[in-house]
Amino acid sequence: MTAFRKDIDRRTSMKWMASMAATVLSASAGTYETLAADAYGEESSTWPALTLKRITGPGYGTDPDLVSPKTPWPLTLSTEEKLLLTRLSDLICPEDSGGPSASHVGVVSVIDEWVSAPYRSQQNDRMLVIPGLQWVNEEAQRRSGRSFLDSSNKQQEAILDAIAYADKGFGEELKMPKRFFSKLRQLVFGAYFSSPEGMKDIGYMGNVPIEGPWPGPTREALEHLNTVLENLGYKPEPIPLVQE
Amino acid sequence: MAELNGFEYDVVVVGSGAGGGMAAYTLTKEGLRVLMLEAGRDYDPIEETPMFQTNAEAPLRGTSNKDKNFGYYDATVDGGWQVPGEPYTMAEGTKFMLWRARMLGGRTNHWGRLVPRFGPYDFKPKTRDGYGEDWPIDYDEIEPWYDKTDHLIGVCGDNPGVDNIPDVTEGVMQPAPEPRVMEILLKKACESLDIPVVKMRRAVMTEDKGDGRSPCFWATNCGRGCSIGAAFQTTTSLIPFAKATGRLKVVTDAMVKWVHTGEAGQANAVTYVDRQTGKDVKLKAPRVVLAPSATETARILLNSKSKKYPNGLANSSGQVGRNLMDSTGAGVSGHVPAMQGRPRYNEDGHTGNHYYVPWWGYQDQAKGKLNFPRGYHFEFGGRFSEPNIWTGGGVDGYGKKAKQAVRDKYGSSIGFSLRGEMVPNENCYCEIDSEVKDKWGIPVLKFHWKWAESEIKQVEHGLKWGEKIIKAMGGVVTSPKRTGEEAILAGGQIIHEVGTTRMGDDPKTSVTNKHGQTWDVDNLFVMDGGVFVSSPHQNCTITIMALAMKNATWMSKQIKRGVL
Ligand SMILES: Cc1cc2nc3c(=O)[nH]c(=O)nc-3n(C[C@H](O)[C@H](O)[C@H](O)COP(=O)(O)OP(=O)(O)OC[C@H]3O[C@@H](n4cnc5c(N)ncnc54)[C@H](O)[C@@H]3O)c2cc1C
Ligand code: SF4
Repeated sequence: MTAFRKDIDRRTSMKWMASMAATVLSASAGTYETLAADAYGEESSTWPALTLKRITGPGYGTDPDLVSPKTPWPLTLSTEEKLLLTRLSDLICPEDSGGPSASHVGVVSVIDEWVSAPYRSQQNDRMLVIPGLQWVNEEAQRRSGRSFLDSSNKQQEAILDAIAYADKGFGEELKMPKRFFSKLRQLVFGAYFSSPEGMKDIGYMGNVPIEGPWPGPTREALEHLNTVLENLGYKPEPIPLVQE
Repeated sequence: MAELNGFEYDVVVVGSGAGGGMAAYTLTKEGLRVLMLEAGRDYDPIEETPMFQTNAEAPLRGTSNKDKNFGYYDATVDGGWQVPGEPYTMAEGTKFMLWRARMLGGRTNHWGRLVPRFGPYDFKPKTRDGYGEDWPIDYDEIEPWYDKTDHLIGVCGDNPGVDNIPDVTEGVMQPAPEPRVMEILLKKACESLDIPVVKMRRAVMTEDKGDGRSPCFWATNCGRGCSIGAAFQTTTSLIPFAKATGRLKVVTDAMVKWVHTGEAGQANAVTYVDRQTGKDVKLKAPRVVLAPSATETARILLNSKSKKYPNGLANSSGQVGRNLMDSTGAGVSGHVPAMQGRPRYNEDGHTGNHYYVPWWGYQDQAKGKLNFPRGYHFEFGGRFSEPNIWTGGGVDGYGKKAKQAVRDKYGSSIGFSLRGEMVPNENCYCEIDSEVKDKWGIPVLKFHWKWAESEIKQVEHGLKWGEKIIKAMGGVVTSPKRTGEEAILAGGQIIHEVGTTRMGDDPKTSVTNKHGQTWDVDNLFVMDGGVFVSSPHQNCTITIMALAMKNATWMSKQIKRGVL
């Protein structure tokens, strides 16, 4: 999969954004249409009433090549959707001292692959993600008369602040946007932390063969465990003398 | 002797999974010549196993879906909860799930490899509490076969000295790995509650046995299969070992539909559908061993009707398809805040649980202190496993703080899987659906299922204790509050279906004798979980294999003596 990269100038992107609200976003191999909100049985006045085609083409089947995996279905997100996703992904998962930003490791392409997949649960997610992207843009328009990407960082963050927290924004209006955001956040972090860079970031150290017996926990891990055990009133674990 | 393309054979074995693999291995080692018929396609674990491929390389980050129910890399070919073109049906009100695979080696390619033995109590359940039936054998009779099976397939574990966990003879088992951090915490917590936590016996080799397989190298998920042969599957062990004798021929894509009988009522042929051509093939069969898995054995027998056997083959007792059992199942999950951000190390281990919680209530049950007759165990999960698309779930907000929260949560969740014993009941069985056929024209199975009060009560007990253990670990319970009825998983969902052709001492109430030989047809044997009389909480497969080895040995003695 080639990772989507943000290399389009601001003017072009503005033009796309303007046309986006009117577009019925279509997918390649749909056979029936669903009102996106219907998939969730929810509708609110600001949630875009998009009619989306569900992608129902063939998946990879029940006997795919496991050794050299391939994704057989075409990706379907438009460039403007990917640009918006790039920004949102990086707001959700920015670069920090632990690792790069989400878009840097190709998260946008993973999400494109996800929402383009001809499976039920991915299509349900598509019914959230695509209208959600449009909602984010329209919300930016409502607030400042500009698209999301043209809004200031502060304005962008204000929109996310309204939908990103479990204990904020309980109104019916925000129900679908909040659902969208929590799905998007799960996909962004999931795609990021399962990328090679993300695995390193989170500290997954497995998937390497070891000869001889299993080495067991390190001294540091056992010392930490012992403080936990002591706080719970349990006897600490003896720490073997030789540990790498 | 019969003959196929120049290969002469004494016995036809149907199925190449745990039961069929062991039957074929044992018979060929005893000098007999075996023709194995396997419905699935040929499968080569050396070439086809994705050992080190990461989630990032797989479509949808390897997550499960309707094509691959246990994830992209899971070693299940053309199967899972549904096999394309080969449905099963359910009676109204029944929820039953049947896991199948269409590949050489069957489900042994991707099973969990947890291999606790049944204990002495488990073979005499009726004597202990009055429910169900006793087995026609006891622990002492099967013990040497457990030893031989453990030793042959390669099992790691130890002798914890816990009630109803029999000690294994010295030298049979290989050393099992030490606990991970969460498993140590589990042990301490359970000790404070007076509950045992012991090493899991697993069909994973940890030392070289010099038979061409390599010991576990502590990486790569066993559910994908194990190309180095450390995790037991018949395709890296029993089948190649049997082939090496020169006395095994395997025909794949051969879906057996009937066993035919001659004038005297003896089995004399089988018909299979060649899944490549869709054509029927009829082969001579001097003797037949059925091991296509418990429910499929019932299907073949019930479909093999004739004038002499109008109710299906070997079914004079009317018990074929009856007494269908699974394990009970339920899950409890939690999160241990004190383990957030804990120091990282490589926790792959043998990628299964190193420790588990065996059933601790036998004595209380004997004293009548519990309101359900049979026990359960808890399998346990909680480690730094390979991140996947769900790793980012359950955090709030966005930005650097949220990103850090995902890191902190990693490796601090725990999960308990309850696996319990069910008592056979008359509402749980399978029969032939008179209306539905699969794409090969073979009538399919219809399942009937209803959990009894005893199983619901057991699960309720398990939910309560699972939560207690989580709290004793300093954790918070994250699974929702549920009643036993809400929490109990569907019949078949634990994938331990057994009992459809149970063995016994009385031809009126059982389908086979204690050797797995059907009462009605001398030269027809069952060597899968169909012969189980009860379904103890311990995972069933090591007992399927030990019985197959025992019974195939007995069978070959009869053949050599000329009685069969
Ligand atoms: C994900 C998973 C995890 C599991 N974990 C454990 C565990 O940890 N411990 C445990 O004890 N058990 C476990 N099990 C259960 C275990 O896999 C089964 O108990 C065991 O494989 C049953 O052996 P079997 O020979 O009866 O059936 P199988 O291993 O399924 O083999 C039957 C074979 O017969 C073939 N067949 C079916 N119908 C026909 C036909 N009509 N003609 C010809 N061939 C046919 C099938 O294709 C298959 O290859 C697990 C199962 C799964 C799926
Ligand atoms: S963990 Fe060990 S036994 Fe399991 S697949 Fe990997 S090498 Fe094989």
